[in-house]
Formats: sequence, structure tokens, C-alpha cells
Amino acid sequence: MFKATIDADILKTAIETLSVLVDEARFRISPEGIVVRAVDPANVAMVSFDLNSSAFDEFNADDSEIGMDLSKINDIFSVAGRDEKVVMELDEMSQKMSLHLGGLSYTLALLDPSTIRAEPRIPQLELPAEVVLNGKDLQRAVKAAEKISDHMLLGIDEDVFYMEAEGDTDRVRLDMTRDSLIDLKSGEARSLFSLDYLSDIVKPASRSNEVTVELGKDFPVKIGFAIANGAGKVGYLLAPRIESD
Amino acid sequence: MNRMPAIVSFVETRKSLTPNLCIKCKGKGLCGRPYCPILEKFKSIESVVPKSSGDTSIFGASPPSVFVGRHNYPNVMAGPMIPPQLCGDDAMQLEDPKALLKMNIQDVIASRSQLVRASTGISVKNARTPDNPLIEKSQELALSKKPVDTEAWFNKPISNKLKFDNVLTPMGPSGDLRKFDITENPKVPKKVDSLVYDDDALAKDAISELWDGNIPAEHISRLLSIGLLGQERKLVPTRWSITAVDDMVGKDLLAEIRDYQQLSEVTVFSGGVFGNHFEIILIPRMFSFELIEVWMPRTVWSGGSTWIEADHEGFGGKTKYSNLAGGYYAARLGALEYLKSIRRQATIFMVREIRPEYWAPLGVWVVREGVRKAFSKEPEKFGSTEHAIANISSRLKTDRSKWMAQAAMLPDIRFQRTLDSFF
Repeated sequence: MFKATIDADILKTAIETLSVLVDEARFRISPEGIVVRAVDPANVAMVSFDLNSSAFDEFNADDSEIGMDLSKINDIFSVAGRDEKVVMELDEMSQKMSLHLGGLSYTLALLDPSTIRAEPRIPQLELPAEVVLNGKDLQRAVKAAEKISDHMLLGIDEDVFYMEAEGDTDRVRLDMTRDSLIDLKSGEARSLFSLDYLSDIVKPASRSNEVTVELGKDFPVKIGFAIANGAGKVGYLLAPRIESD
Repeated sequence: MNRMPAIVSFVETRKSLTPNLCIKCKGKGLCGRPYCPILEKFKSIESVVPKSSGDTSIFGASPPSVFVGRHNYPNVMAGPMIPPQLCGDDAMQLEDPKALLKMNIQDVIASRSQLVRASTGISVKNARTPDNPLIEKSQELALSKKPVDTEAWFNKPISNKLKFDNVLTPMGPSGDLRKFDITENPKVPKKVDSLVYDDDALAKDAISELWDGNIPAEHISRLLSIGLLGQERKLVPTRWSITAVDDMVGKDLLAEIRDYQQLSEVTVFSGGVFGNHFEIILIPRMFSFELIEVWMPRTVWSGGSTWIEADHEGFGGKTKYSNLAGGYYAARLGALEYLKSIRRQATIFMVREIRPEYWAPLGVWVVREGVRKAFSKEPEKFGSTEHAIANISSRLKTDRSKWMAQAAMLPDIRFQRTLDSFF
């Protein structure tokens, strides 16, 4: 059994954090809320998504697992008004989810979860350095880097968090000192990342004014932030590139 | 084949052309000239069948073969191809890649130049109800898997010009068809028979069923071309039908391959035909495909300089037509056939080096067969992609830095780490 009511806008932004990496996902539903762990087909980035039942106006659920096509859900939300509520109800017999919003009623065929990539194992990483910053600043640096390169360095040098990209002839660098950051835990950190992935990940992160970035030396980066006004959290893990030449 | 066609020099023609455009266009007419000067030169090679020239009627066994032109689409020229006086196995060779592969380029051209294109004007939409009995008979002919004896009469004596193209296999003189008879019953494979009479099957489903029924690509594209497949039947210019079949069959294979396990080791295949040399690296990853085409100086289209272009597709497949045209789909098909046969998926990185030995365009079947030839050889296994790259570089005549610079997908594979390496 699953029946829940939530702000359309909250659900829409929550789904977007997943759809930047995968087209379909397994949703684990329990009385506590909804959990998704998904990895992109190239095994380069993964997302862990937790949406607590408190994010919902109404939440009644048993334990179950469903598979959904995220692009279909995005299509439905593209016509939703800003302050509308969505009522979701699962029909286990027919394996369909009905969504009611603003007088519209959708019936969405679910995917067999076993046809979707299994939940990934999550590497246990001890990352030595951590910064907390406004998501907008992160996005600004990524956008600047995109103009000249397809990858970008993230690193920490003493009390400075830097983001740097180098193109064939040009270079762009954003330095952020302790006072422009919300928090900084210094450590040895310098890793290169593909902007293909990074720019997708910072899109939803840019809406949060407190994004945590954990880094190491040639190690994956963890990017985490809260969703649904604190009633949920999203964390990405992105594998680095090896610096060529 | 003892009568060789005269090999012509086309250096003079080149000077007024821009090789960069030529190699992209390969005879499509992008320069705005009504005819391609490079191909025109080949046309002046005389057919080795002078007896067909000047005749107004011919008798011979069609391999079987039909041709649908693309000029003035949708009102095209179409009809059977007939080698005068040739019968049985000799005729069959002309349309059989396995037989053509045993020849050298001169002999391929000499053999194919015996095929007289007997054509008549028709609108492509009239495929299902041909008001034109000549097309109806061509359709009957196209069904056959074995040569069919035919007789054709022309309005005017046959003109002795050959046809060359980067996708099409060379063809002989052409004539304006007046009357056409099939003098024996075509031998029609059961699978072909049932799908041709199935009006409900979509062309793409019919094609994949024919492929699964071991009908060769040449036969399938012949059926598609002469308007015998699908719900809404149309004539399809031969050139387009060849690539359409390569693409549709490839997509079909890919749908299965995506669910297979990943290959276990980096594997290298090498080989080719007619100066088309292939170096292929299979990398244990999810499916993706990258092809780099290297035209060395003095090959058909390249003029005096090396010309390199690349195209690739990711796990999701390709949506737009490749800038490498028909060759891309033919090469991909060869590689997908191999992956299907070992039931594994992999990332395919392929370099096609076209060497000066490839002095006349023989059509896209050369690519398909070249890739198959490479995959038929004993592979070498490597511990890393880097070692495999070093290995293929040693056999390629073009410097590694030149073709590597065009690779878009390979750097991602070489430098991007995956999360499973952090457990």
C-alpha cells in the first residue's frame, strides 16, 4: 500500500536530482519514506536519495519497491502549477501509479524493478577535506569552466578552495577563501572531474544555499545537500579523471 | 578476367577541386557540379563487354540484381541489372561479396562492369501497384536467391559508361528499358516469400526477421530497394537501402547486446580488404562505438593530403545520420555481429585506414567485409587499453598523434575512472 500527498514543486525538484544521472530508477518505499540508490550506466557517478515521510502532507506506506520511468514523471510535472499538491496512489494489482494534480489525473505504468540496474554498492571513502558553500557559487565556477574545457579540477590549498579549468589555450580559476565559504576543513585534496557529469550534478545543487563538497587526492568527490526543506537529502559520488600528460 | 579496364590518371582533375570537400561528399554533388569529376573519370573506363555496347537487346542471367537510382527523387530510374551472355555461377559472382573478395580491384571493376543497368522511369510511390510491368518483373527477379535468366530490349543502343559510388558496388553500362522478360522461375527462399506477402509487417521488423533467417544483407537491401518490404511500400534508391539495412540490422543487434555481460579482457583485432585496413579494440565496458576514418594521401577522395574524420555513439545509440555516411553503419554492423556471436557487450574503438591501394570506390560492402575479415582473425589480448593502443599504432601507417587527436570517446575511456575502482 502506498498513498501520499506532497507539494508538486518539492516532488519535481526531488525527481530532477535523479534524472540528471539515470532515466529510470528503483524506488524503495517504507513507512519512513522513499529511498533511491542509482548509478549511471558508465559507472562513473551515483546518487543516493532519501526523502523522509515528513516531506509529505500525508504519507501511508508499507514496504515495497517500484520502478519508474523518470522522463515520464518529468513530463507530467511540466504541466503542474507551482503551488499545486500531488496525490500519488499505487495500485499494486495492476502495477500502476495514479497521480492527481490540479484536477488532472494520470495513470502511470510502472517498470518491473528487476529490469532496472541493481542498486549499486557504495564505496566507503574517507575523504580528508571538506568545504561547505552556496550552490550558486559552485554552479558559477562550473559554468565558467564549461566555456573553455570539458573537465575541471577541484582542490584545496591550505585555506583556499579552488576550482580550475584549462583549455587548449585558456585557463579559468575561482579561488574561495575561508570567509566566502560557509565552512572549510583543510586537507590534501586535488582531483579532476568530467564537466559532463559535474554540470548535471550542480544543476539541482545550485538551488541549495548549503552544499557540502568532500574531496581527496585523485579520489571521487561527494556532493551533498538537503532537499524538501530539510526533510530529505541527496548525495552524489563522482569518480575522478586521471590527469593526462 | 583478362581484359583489364584502362586505369586513368585523375591528378589533373584534382587540382581544380577542394579535396576536403571531396572526401566529405564522396560524389554526392556538394560542390554544385552536375557530375562528380572524380567519379566521371572512372566512368570513362571502358566496359570489358564491348559486345553489349550498341546492342538493343541482351540476354543473360541476372545475379539477381536490381538498381534504383536517386537522381530526381521521387521520380527515379529503376530496373534490373543484367550481364549479357553470362549465366549461372558466373553471374552469381557479380553480386556475391565472398566471390568479389577473392579478386583484385581491377577484376572487381571488370566483373561488375558487365552488369548492364536496364532502367525505366517510375515514381517511388508506385511500388505496390506498378503501372509499369517492367518494375513488376524486376520485383519478381529481386525475390530470387539464385541467378535468373532474363532477356531485355532497349529503346536505344546501350551507352558504354560505368557507375561508381562510395556506397554502391561499381556497375556497368546503362540502357533505357523497353521490354523485359524473365525466362525462368526465380528461386525464392521461404522467409523472403512470407515477408514479401506480409503487408502488416513494418519494414524494420521484416528486415530483422530476414536477417535472423540468414538472408544476406545484399538480398535484404535488394528487396527493400525495389519496394517489396513494409506496410507502405516505396522504391528506395539502392544507395539508401544499403545503409538503411546496415543501420536497422545494427540497431536490432544492439538491443540484444546491451543486455549482455561485459567482455572480460581488452581485445584487439586487425585486418582488412582492398587497402581498407581495420584496427579494432574491444574494451570491457558498456557498449559504445567510435570509428576513425583515415584516408591516406592518394586514395580515391583524399587528393595529396591525409584526411581524418571521426564519429561515435554512446550506450543509447545514434540519432543523427553519421558524418562518415554509409561506411559508419557498415563498420558498426560488422562489429556488432561479432559481439552478438560471443554474447558480450563492449566498447568498440575502430580505426579504418584507407591506403593508396584503394584507388577506386567499390562500395560500402568493402567496409562490412573488411571488418568481418578482421574479426575472423585470431585476436590479441592486453592488460590495459593503453597497451592495446600502442599495439594498433604499430601497425597503422598514419602517426598515432594524428588520429588520436580526432578521437572523442577514447580519451574519456583512457582518463575517466569508474566508481568500482574505489572499493
